[in-house]
Amino acid sequence: MMPAKFVHKKTPKIGVLSSIGKNASALVLGLKYFFEPNRFTLMYPREYIVLDKRYRGFIVLIKNKCIGCESCARVCPTGAMKMVKFEVPNPKNPEKKKIVKYPTINHQRCVYCGFCVDICPTEALYHVPVHDVVYFNLADMIQYVESFQKEPVSPTAAEGAVPVKYIFDPERGLVKVRIKEGEKQ
Amino acid sequence: MAYISIWTLTRDVISTVFWGIVKLIFWPPIYQFVIIPGLVAALVVVISIIWFERKAAARVQMRYGPLEVSPKLAGYLQLFADLIRYSFQEIIIPRTADIIPFITSPFFALLLSLLPLAVIPVSPVKWTWPLTLSAMRYSVLIAAALTTLSPIFIVAMGWASNNRFSTIGSMRESFLITAYELSAIIGIFSVVATVHSFDFTNIVNFQGGGKWLGLINPIALLAAFIATLISTSAFPFEISDAENEIVAGPFTEYSGLMYGVNMGTAYIKRWAMSVLIVLAFLGGWRPYIPPPNAGYIAGYLVPSLIVSAKAVVVMALMSFLRAVYGRYRIDQALHISWKYVFALAIAGFGLGILEGYLL
Repeated sequence: MMPAKFVHKKTPKIGVLSSIGKNASALVLGLKYFFEPNRFTLMYPREYIVLDKRYRGFIVLIKNKCIGCESCARVCPTGAMKMVKFEVPNPKNPEKKKIVKYPTINHQRCVYCGFCVDICPTEALYHVPVHDVVYFNLADMIQYVESFQKEPVSPTAAEGAVPVKYIFDPERGLVKVRIKEGEKQ
Repeated sequence: MAYISIWTLTRDVISTVFWGIVKLIFWPPIYQFVIIPGLVAALVVVISIIWFERKAAARVQMRYGPLEVSPKLAGYLQLFADLIRYSFQEIIIPRTADIIPFITSPFFALLLSLLPLAVIPVSPVKWTWPLTLSAMRYSVLIAAALTTLSPIFIVAMGWASNNRFSTIGSMRESFLITAYELSAIIGIFSVVATVHSFDFTNIVNFQGGGKWLGLINPIALLAAFIATLISTSAFPFEISDAENEIVAGPFTEYSGLMYGVNMGTAYIKRWAMSVLIVLAFLGGWRPYIPPPNAGYIAGYLVPSLIVSAKAVVVMALMSFLRAVYGRYRIDQALHISWKYVFALAIAGFGLGILEGYLL
């Protein structure tokens, strides 16, 4: 290991005239934004961002496609996905019961990485472009098979907030625009 | 039948009380120290200017600033909400603090930063002058001397708090005092060299007909402007109470209303300096000339409101700089103030002498 070497850094020297020019241009830029503001704050409860179709939001299960292979539970990096056993009647032998497994998601742990969706061999899991669901207690955040199959609804969208999206304008930079009804997202 | 009608008596009493109150309000020391441009006007202006500063910085930085407290007033009531919150907070005095300077110095700093307003004329009418005629001849000198008093209490606050951040903050403040004081006073005194008078009334009368000293001698105005920014820790030079380096500088240990007073003191000092700048450079009450025997309204209220309006514009300009500049380091600020602002002030003084010789 080389020992750390002290280097005295010098700030680049700027002449008086050029520094005056730079200060003036900074002030002019500030005045330009003061008179023509380009504000893109999301006024959240009154506006919401319309997310992309492929957004990694909440995860929903399609029960009929699930084969109980446990791949999602194995790949889950935070242990949010767990398999739960269910006893169902066995069609071949009515006296014995058949045991099947379905995934359960714990939203306290889930980081929405989407590994389970990627690894699912039958595409039984999919993302929904919603991320602002609110729970009133921690127990609700563990979703068993029944609630795991329902697509969550964004509360802001349900309460009639204004849908917006951010686009890059060649002149103004990042701009917030409203999405009108019926417009293709 | 000699009797006094009850109505006449009531009318007389009411009119005596009313005119007594009016006379008290417009008594120059009370009017200038407490009402306009003193405490009341300063508080209103400070609250509005803080709101403007936050909104302007937000506009430039693509945000909204204070809004949610009162969306229809664009968040103006946020400052009143903050004021109420400060006044109901508990005032905690640390056990290790030096208690008497700790408690008294914020209020001394506030009062002393208001004092320059009590010695300046805001109207050319003679009865409105707060000092005697012989003292008014040196009003620039007295006002400039009074502006230099309050920083020592900021240093005292830092020392009395017995806290590392406070000590660092007050050390920075004392560095800056030595750096800006000379430039500010030389900048304002360049006006004296031009007009050959220490009297603010003469200086303002000299600026009649749009012949503002700020236009004649912009170098001195710039020096005084920058020195005011440094002295009141306005944004590019907000070094002594830099929030993300040293918690709140000398005000770290203060809480509740005393913290609010400390935050207001810098703005009130900026207000006092803005009024001085307006009188010295920007024509004072000048587009309006009151008649020589004017009364309360025409002779006192209107000129003081004109001076205040100009000073508000100066303060708004100072606040706008928050949106554009980042904070300088202490060594950069000292570099700027000694190497450039001091040179600017000297150059402005030389220009003032030259103009005094020519004009």
